[in-house]
Amino acid sequence: MTKETALELEQVRRVFGPVVAVDDVSLEVERGEFLTLLGPSGSGKTSTLRLVGGQDQVNSGAIRLNGKRIDHLPPYERDTATIFQSGALFPHKTVAENVAYGLRMRKTPKSEIDQRVREVLDIVQMTGFEARYPSQLSSGQKQRVALARSLVVRPAILLFDEPLSALDLSLRLQLRAEIKRLHDELQFSAIYVTHDQGEAMAMSSRVAVMKRGRIEQIGTPQQIFQQPANEFVYKFIGESSQMPVRAHGGAFADMVGQPLDLHLHEALSDGYWRLYVRPSRLKLAAEAAAQPNRLQAKIQFIEFLGDVYRYHFKAGALEVFADHAGAIGHATGDVVEIGWQTADMERFR
Amino acid sequence: MTVTRPETDADYEAALRRMKRQKAVTPWVLLLPALVVVLIFFGIPTLYMARMSFNLHIDQRLFVPGFTFEHYFDLFANPLFTHAILTTMVLSLMASIFTVIIGYAFALLVWLKPMHWRLMFVGLALCPLLISEITIIFGWWMFFPKNGLLSYALLSSGLVTEKISLMYTEFAAFVGLVYLTLPYCFFILLSIFDGIDKRLFEASQDLGAPPVTTFVEVLLPLSWSGILVAFSQAFIWTMGTYATPSALGPDTLWTMGFLVQEQMLGKQNWPMASALSMALVLGVTVVMALIISLRSKQSSFHV
Repeated sequence: MTKETALELEQVRRVFGPVVAVDDVSLEVERGEFLTLLGPSGSGKTSTLRLVGGQDQVNSGAIRLNGKRIDHLPPYERDTATIFQSGALFPHKTVAENVAYGLRMRKTPKSEIDQRVREVLDIVQMTGFEARYPSQLSSGQKQRVALARSLVVRPAILLFDEPLSALDLSLRLQLRAEIKRLHDELQFSAIYVTHDQGEAMAMSSRVAVMKRGRIEQIGTPQQIFQQPANEFVYKFIGESSQMPVRAHGGAFADMVGQPLDLHLHEALSDGYWRLYVRPSRLKLAAEAAAQPNRLQAKIQFIEFLGDVYRYHFKAGALEVFADHAGAIGHATGDVVEIGWQTADMERFR
Repeated sequence: MTVTRPETDADYEAALRRMKRQKAVTPWVLLLPALVVVLIFFGIPTLYMARMSFNLHIDQRLFVPGFTFEHYFDLFANPLFTHAILTTMVLSLMASIFTVIIGYAFALLVWLKPMHWRLMFVGLALCPLLISEITIIFGWWMFFPKNGLLSYALLSSGLVTEKISLMYTEFAAFVGLVYLTLPYCFFILLSIFDGIDKRLFEASQDLGAPPVTTFVEVLLPLSWSGILVAFSQAFIWTMGTYATPSALGPDTLWTMGFLVQEQMLGKQNWPMASALSMALVLGVTVVMALIISLRSKQSSFHV
């Protein structure tokens, strides 16, 4: 299968006063690809999306959609469609009128509009709601209609601006799965902006992790998770226990200088290190003994999370947490051995 | 009041119904004091005026108790009155439409501007409200005459070659009326705009609608109720006002407000003045009813 580029950003820059919101960002979205821009608030992900949609203008750089430059076109001449966080449905129009809006603007014949509106409402499972007004819909239904309104015009690229962040958790998970299903079915090209790493991992073909207007790493969810390019990406994707230590002649101390009962399989050169392990990869008590890397730590408190118990440890100034299926038979205050495989540890200095 | 725990579903539903009933009654209870004041200070005088309009007018006496439709008949038969009704309607209609257009543009501008501009514009719009109608008229007297500000401004800009006076013209009366109602129009419309999500314009343009289409399809329908309210307040006010058109307009500009004054004080004809006033009240009521009927279909979108 040959890959065609749907959207291309080349050295795109946007500055707001002293802040560089989008700092020479370059990326490509292939046709049918679902690319997620992931980052904390203020990382420039929404700014980037607005430059593509035309709600904002670039300072420099080029944006090409299907090979044609669009960065100086007004939003109504760009073949993009945005799904806003609030939905932004027209409150004075019915569901059917909202969905038909983009088609009417494109001078589509009436009979075709009716048919396509029917089809798309069926796809988002909102058949029967045609005559309702947005104020008569739940927040999840509103987002379905917003999705239908953008899908129906069959844009060259769909732009999602944190569409699920205003919804409660169960609804968010449900709609997330539904967007994923729609993408598998319809194979539209999309950029999805979110600060929720779970959402990014679950839905995307590729994820671009952003920080301060720059892309830190771009790759498949697996690549981002398993081979993070740097500490920021590692910390942002998934949970991790952080162990800041000082190595000196094969022995370890915490940041205040207290010696730690820490044994590492591979020697670290002298200096300050930050070690990370995912909480699910930490072995506890008896299981820890066989591991190549071990730490003695005291249980501070235990959280019951349903599927797992989360043990919070303290060793000197280090605070470590580990997940364990089932209780380990130790209580708060006990000193327990924690162990892990070398491959499960990331170290940065 | 004791609260009992509802034992059965039926009890529970009865309790719900009671709560709903109480909720329906609450606004009326809260409204009662204002309603009483309005009835005493506006309702009773209006009834008195209605009765007065049927009294007789004999030999320059203020009024003679009796019952006649003569004054109402006069309203439509005497060209003096029909002409005044027509003049007032046309003047008010034009002034109101113009006020709404200016007020709409001004409020839209302030709404779209960043917040720090807003305070300045709102302050500017509040200024005329600090001054009484009479004082504003004095201001116009310095603006419109031959040696007034307007004349100098036009002369120095080269638009006219000789000093001109627009004082005591229908134009001056029109401008005065627009100025009088503009601040209220502005605030009504601004409050309506504040209830609109600006993202809707982004959504509209995003779906392929150019700015003008977005205005017609999205902004206009959403601000429609505000336009109607702003128009009705301007129309009611300009219909009834007396001072501004009399002080700025020509001697021949006989509005209903002017005629009420003249019948009352000049001609000592209280029943005729009352009949004219009743015509004003009824006219305004009809306009209000029309506007409310136009509005009811639209207002439900503001949620």
